[in-house]
Amino acid sequence: MAPQARIGLIVTTIAFFAGIWLFLAPFIVEYQKVGQDWIDATKNDLWTGGALIAISVLTLILFGAFALRDAARAAERERATGAEES
Amino acid sequence: MAKYVIGAIGALLGALVGMWLMLAPFALAYQGSGADWADPTYVDFWTGLLLLVISVAGLLLYVSGLVEELRRRGIVRRPYAAPAEQPQAPGSPQGNASGSENNMEQVLLPLVTAMLKDMQERERDGARQRDLDDVPQTRDAEGEGGVRR
Repeated sequence: MAPQARIGLIVTTIAFFAGIWLFLAPFIVEYQKVGQDWIDATKNDLWTGGALIAISVLTLILFGAFALRDAARAAERERATGAEES
Repeated sequence: MAKYVIGAIGALLGALVGMWLMLAPFALAYQGSGADWADPTYVDFWTGLLLLVISVAGLLLYVSGLVEELRRRGIVRRPYAAPAEQPQAPGSPQGNASGSENNMEQVLLPLVTAMLKDMQERERDGARQRDLDDVPQTRDAEGEGGVRR
């Protein structure tokens, strides 16, 4: 895997953790009291955090799937060229 | 190649989310303008800024990976790279990669062929002339030998 892709994956993972942080921040920072109606900031953070988690997870899954597909194709091509040479 | 496109789209969406987070406290008016920043504003603004920076970096990395992949496959040419010189067999201008050079060679080929033919004919005539000049000399030499005898 190219180094750019590896660092890109790390960046996407950081974005995933940022989403988790956003999801939990209203309760950790305590600007949302447990049991009370959600304020606007809490709603925004929950929706945005959720969206960020979904985007990051989807990116990671699809990136992994396509990387595996490319690796399988490369292995098949190598096997075919090896069989032709021998 | 598709994996880089997926990654770039994900990073772009992440950057947009980051931008939204920076603007949200003011757009949703849970931060009064001119008032001291409340805790939700601090959390949203700094998280948004971090996310924006990270996502832009990720976007650049994924795009550079995509460009590298396209170069590796020969779809995109490397900038400022010297064109690879291909060994060309004589009399086969089709082997040339460049179209303009190919045209130039096709224009020049009959001229060069005619020049070569002309040079060969001249050489042949010269050789024939030399042969004709040599014949009387050998006869003379034979004659001189005869006198000596």
